[in-house]
Amino acid sequence: MSQSTTSANISQADLQNLDDNSKKDIMNFLEVENSKQKVQMSIHQFTNMCFKQCITNATNPELSAGEEQCLNNCVNRFLDTNIRIVKGLQNIQ
Amino acid sequence: MALSSIFSGNNNNAEQQQPTNTTTTKTPLVSELKQQISQELAIANATELVNKVTENCFETCMKTPYAEGNDSCVDSCLAKYMRSWNSISRAYIQRIQQSPDKNA
Repeated sequence: MSQSTTSANISQADLQNLDDNSKKDIMNFLEVENSKQKVQMSIHQFTNMCFKQCITNATNPELSAGEEQCLNNCVNRFLDTNIRIVKGLQNIQ
Repeated sequence: MALSSIFSGNNNNAEQQQPTNTTTTKTPLVSELKQQISQELAIANATELVNKVTENCFETCMKTPYAEGNDSCVDSCLAKYMRSWNSISRAYIQRIQQSPDKNA
């Protein structure tokens, strides 16, 4: 949907006529946005995973101290595991 | 990174963070491109969020055989999910700032 409006508003010819500085500008912008987006997607993934594990009932909209601690631990243990796995795989090689 | 950036599309940021290179011609096309990119990302993030919250709150609030709804549970579940999102965002960012080289 938004894809089509993009190509409608900005023509191919316009894009080809961009000067080098503008291209560099956009490349930089994309790089920054891309890494921000990776962080965002990780947070989506962690929230999805840790919410399932840590939150058992939703009658209270506030997080309890225990739930908050569980979420925090969940992220950190996941990252510990990730690091451990990467190291383990490196040792295999 | 605040959750609000998901929805805003971050246009201000996109415009202002360039240290206006002397030779850079500030074409409207460049800012238009950036704006559209930010917008696409905001839509992608919002969609992801809606899908994940729906999935989790459906699991938490609805019980087989799904004979009745539970709006109050869904409402507080949504609030709780957003709080969890912020909490996890804080924990994760703190972690990657501690050891930027270790995490993918």
